[in-house]
Amino acid sequence: MRSRIWSWIILLIGFIYFFLPLFATFEFSMRMLKGRYTFEAYRVAFTDPRFFKAFGFSLLWAVLTIIISLLLVVPTTYWVHLRLPRLRPTVEFITLMPFVVPAVVLVFGLIRVYGRYTFFVSVPILLIAGYVVLSLPYMFRAVDAGLRAIDVRTLTEAAQSLGAGWGTILFRVIFPNLRVAILSGVFLTFAIVMGEFTFAALLVWPAFGPYMEEIGAMRAYTPQALSVVSFLLTWGSIGVIQRIARGAPGQGQIAGAR
Amino acid sequence: MAFLEINNINKLFGKDTVAVKDFNLQVEKGELVSFLGPSGCGKTTTLRMVAGFEAPTTGQIRMNNEDITNKPPNQRNVGMVFQAYALFPNMTVGDNIGFGLKIAKRPPEEIKQRVDELLSLIHMPGFGDRYPFQLSGGQQQRVALARALALSPQMLLLDEPLSALDAKIRVSLRAEIRSIQRTLGITAIYVTHDQEEALSLSDRVVVMYNGAMEQVGTPFEIYNFPQTEFVASFVGTLNAVQGEVLDPTNQLLAFDGQTLQTAEDLSRRQRGDKVMIAIRPERLSFSSEGKKPNLIDCTVENITFLGSIVRVQVLIGSHKFHMDTFNNPFLALPKLGDRAEITCSREAVLILEHPGKVEALAPEV
Repeated sequence: MRSRIWSWIILLIGFIYFFLPLFATFEFSMRMLKGRYTFEAYRVAFTDPRFFKAFGFSLLWAVLTIIISLLLVVPTTYWVHLRLPRLRPTVEFITLMPFVVPAVVLVFGLIRVYGRYTFFVSVPILLIAGYVVLSLPYMFRAVDAGLRAIDVRTLTEAAQSLGAGWGTILFRVIFPNLRVAILSGVFLTFAIVMGEFTFAALLVWPAFGPYMEEIGAMRAYTPQALSVVSFLLTWGSIGVIQRIARGAPGQGQIAGAR
Repeated sequence: MAFLEINNINKLFGKDTVAVKDFNLQVEKGELVSFLGPSGCGKTTTLRMVAGFEAPTTGQIRMNNEDITNKPPNQRNVGMVFQAYALFPNMTVGDNIGFGLKIAKRPPEEIKQRVDELLSLIHMPGFGDRYPFQLSGGQQQRVALARALALSPQMLLLDEPLSALDAKIRVSLRAEIRSIQRTLGITAIYVTHDQEEALSLSDRVVVMYNGAMEQVGTPFEIYNFPQTEFVASFVGTLNAVQGEVLDPTNQLLAFDGQTLQTAEDLSRRQRGDKVMIAIRPERLSFSSEGKKPNLIDCTVENITFLGSIVRVQVLIGSHKFHMDTFNNPFLALPKLGDRAEITCSREAVLILEHPGKVEALAPEV
């Protein structure tokens, strides 16, 4: 009985720690008009054409980052699992670099090396490359966990013995069985890119992060509204992952009972 | 010419890990050959080389008169059944079975017909729309078998397919595998570490140890006439003891003060030569009719009731021997500590190669 009370107390403390600031932000965002709670700050945010422009650009960057990340990470991780398992710690270490090297150092490095070439400045290649690097730990870990949950080698060999080539194996056997893992990586990448500030600001590309910062510097209530929207977006992504994970056939099934 | 020829295959992992050495085997069409041996003996590696998942370091593999040594696995037309079933979790049973046919770009009607045909063959009609996770282990392995057979492969390779199943299903499924293999007349290689499985299923058994073939023969030959110490110890229970040749002409052997007569040829040996003597427990019996060719004095140490048989442990000199006798309600057994005489025929006294491995052969006490 006593331990149960403590469990509830700990849960309550955790709940307050996570949700009180969020609730305060939300409550503040509702006080734009004096003396009453309204969604005026949200109305202002959503009627600003720059909001949609910035949001649209971030959406585009996110989609491009996701495509490139998937094409880079899934085949590499698959191959490491299948043929080069000894390299796994090295690959994992490389993917952790964005946690060690701050984004600002990374972006100045990119500018210093590639900034002198017009091509790299005129197209958002450095921005997307930077985002791919930023999302590496999340994408790699998600895909790696997915590959660990299935018997990659046996599934590959089973498909090979049935006449499948590498393309068929990847797209019809491996990718579908990594659906949930890939989606986890995709949504995490999406959430990171949508809120990212440093790369977009320093490489001077329009994005949602710099827009929020700009609004924050000028207005009081609208940035709070945008923060809440940002949170909802992230939660929405996580909710979609959960939903898909529940609906996927054979989730938790590892290439047959083992 | 044999359907499958494995010629002088060697496989090295890294520079010095020898997985398979000097492996030679010829498999006839329609034959089921088992590779039997303990973990790490090279049986799965050899099978994987036939499947194309591993390349031999040296040697050649020929199938149906074609050199397939360096052919990729997806071009060998070899069906494979894995220990872990390896069904594609994202596909239904029907899609799993039809996977190879789809890749071969067969028309949808033909695929459907073939899938139905194979579902009937494995006694699972109506299971086509289920997912693998909705099936039991035995059902999953049946589907894996059907999938491997869908393309009518030249050869069927089974890598410990029953190891993950419980004992009862294992027995019924192995009979089913054998029956399907016979019905289709497909050539098959079956890898197992279970001697009972290998002996009950196979036309021939290849016993492997340390990457090499120890003996190839029919189950009857492997069990009754093991040629090496390892085969004798690995297949069935064995009483083994080091002794010496007493009289080569009269085929007499001696150990621990006992004299045994063997049916084996001792003409190339000399008196005093060290030999490994082996006798199967079921070839020993209590002597009740006086003098027999091999009469051995012993003390009864333990009696274990195992259902259909009774296992008696006796002490002969300083050696412990096991003796198996069929159970019947009127069986008269001595008491523990009794002196007794046991006997066996001359043919039951085997002489094994590699007399250096005495400890490994001592019966469990």
